[in-house]
Amino acid sequence: MNWSIAKKNFSRQGLRASLNVLVTALSIIALIFMLSLLNGFQAQATKNVVNTDVGGGHYRAPGFDILSPTEWEDHTVKTPEILMQLDNKDKAEVLVLQGQLYPNRRLYPVQIRGISMEQSLLKLPLNNLKIFPKNIDDLIPVVVGVKMAKKSHLQKGDTLTLKWRDKSGAVDAKDVLIVDVGDMLNPRVDEGVLWLRLDHLRFMTDRKGEVSWVAVQNYIGPVPEFEFHPVELLMADLLALWRQDRINSKILWAILMTLVCISVFNTQMLNIFKRQKEIGTLMALGMDSNRIVKIFTLEGCLAAVWALVVALLLGLPFFIWFQGVGFDVSHLSESTLPIRETIYPNYQLMEIIYSLVIVFILIVASSWLPVKKITRLDPTMALRGRAIK
Amino acid sequence: MDRIYKVFLLSFFLFSLASSPLLKSSEAIDAQKLLEQVDDNLWSNTKFISGRLIVDNGRKIRTLTQDTWMEGIDRSYTHYKSPAREKGTKMLKVKGKLWMYTPRTDRKILIAGHLLRQSLMGSDLSYEDMMEDHKLSKSYSATFDSFANINKVRCAILNLTARDKKTTYQTRKVWVNPEDKTVLKEERFAKSGKLLKKILFEDYEIISDRKFPRTMVFKDLLKENTKTTYKFDIIEFDVEIPARYFSQSSLKR
Repeated sequence: MNWSIAKKNFSRQGLRASLNVLVTALSIIALIFMLSLLNGFQAQATKNVVNTDVGGGHYRAPGFDILSPTEWEDHTVKTPEILMQLDNKDKAEVLVLQGQLYPNRRLYPVQIRGISMEQSLLKLPLNNLKIFPKNIDDLIPVVVGVKMAKKSHLQKGDTLTLKWRDKSGAVDAKDVLIVDVGDMLNPRVDEGVLWLRLDHLRFMTDRKGEVSWVAVQNYIGPVPEFEFHPVELLMADLLALWRQDRINSKILWAILMTLVCISVFNTQMLNIFKRQKEIGTLMALGMDSNRIVKIFTLEGCLAAVWALVVALLLGLPFFIWFQGVGFDVSHLSESTLPIRETIYPNYQLMEIIYSLVIVFILIVASSWLPVKKITRLDPTMALRGRAIK
Repeated sequence: MDRIYKVFLLSFFLFSLASSPLLKSSEAIDAQKLLEQVDDNLWSNTKFISGRLIVDNGRKIRTLTQDTWMEGIDRSYTHYKSPAREKGTKMLKVKGKLWMYTPRTDRKILIAGHLLRQSLMGSDLSYEDMMEDHKLSKSYSATFDSFANINKVRCAILNLTARDKKTTYQTRKVWVNPEDKTVLKEERFAKSGKLLKKILFEDYEIISDRKFPRTMVFKDLLKENTKTTYKFDIIEFDVEIPARYFSQSSLKR
């Protein structure tokens, strides 16, 4: 009975109800889009960091800290047998040392990273290094990232001088040849980083068999003389950033929801004001005020249901289309975020369901709050249209 | 006749060889001894130097004035007097460690290990270069290369090879005037043989019975259009240096 009255009342509201439904539906679409895009962004950025640097964690030389470049050379150790035995797809040996590059004869401090050419754990554009022999000829082949190349005005085929120290501390220098400028996707392995073959770097610095860390696919238990750094530790700064992003997105979410609630609340207020004579008549005819509240609240619920339906009808094609074209974030290439390519939304079903449930509850609450005052209305005043001023 | 001709040719060849400047010089030059004599000329137990470090980075020239007290190879203390930005900066070297005090931060920082390889106040010298005060004859073994003229002065070129693989520059080349045992030019090489730095020693003067250069010009050859000139305005040898100069308390304001 209540339901059929509410349905009738709702359909008679016409444009007012339609606009209310449309605003709510668009807000729901915006909400899902925002959350999914953020999910997609974070997932792709995390994937880039894992694929290019972190892997499944690092077995690091004790005391090695990437933020203390002056101590890198003091923390290199021989790769232990247990890690050597891992398959090349499960490990990547990396040696990190300081160096000084002289592009256009200007000093540019760099991080020299040697990586084994046999590894396939980390996806880095270093194929052009593989064709060079283990022994160094006149020029040392190196690869730089696009950001590094842009900053230091380097391009493929350039030769320039690199200065470094060997294990004993003796200064050494030689010309390097830029054999490729690759898109690293991750600024951590791009800006200020010079990629070399591991065997070349070991030879240059008299560090036979030594590494700074071994990136592994999976944790294989404690390894003597090595410290394991899990992904969470290696990506702590990025994960903290993601958490902050989530908080920021919640603020946006709250703003959006407040707007929806205000819209629903406002519509209900207007409804009561315009329909006070109707409410007065119903009360005069003996209808319980609580029942009238129920009817009005049900009208609000109907608006929420229709909003979900419209959101589904409008949003679904939009989301399917957007999943195909993605969102171009090439403008982020100047930032330090590990993402440069087009990002695609990542729709999490449970997250969407939770969000919709919350939206529904908020709309129902927003519909109920203004109508609860009906219980306090004087029927005679309501009949004359003077109960609410 | 043929035999006489052969004997004549052989005699001529031997005479030419014996009289060639190369052979004569190499016989005359004992590279290691010459290097020791160079050290003896320059070396003293204690030194006081008041000088200017003129840093030309190709775009701007900065002049830093400083007073330095040095004792042996292990200890030195430098006080920067100008420009305003660097005024009051102090550096204390004790053995392999270097402490730096900057009045702006009111902190003393230990510059050790790899930090020593960084450029000293944007100059062509590293902290390590600046701290370096060891006897070349002790650290390097010298061999004679050839003679060459520098500003019409005939110099013996000595090739120096480090005795220890920990020595920063594994090879050097020095141009020494054998007459007065002074160095006019020095080149420092990377392990690979690449030339890294060139140093010119100019304006030699006799100070306390030693011939000492008033000016040293450092050039980092990997950089373009940069040079650092170290001018010694006052040099005193074998001076009394109070022990407190080489204690960390000297770094305090």
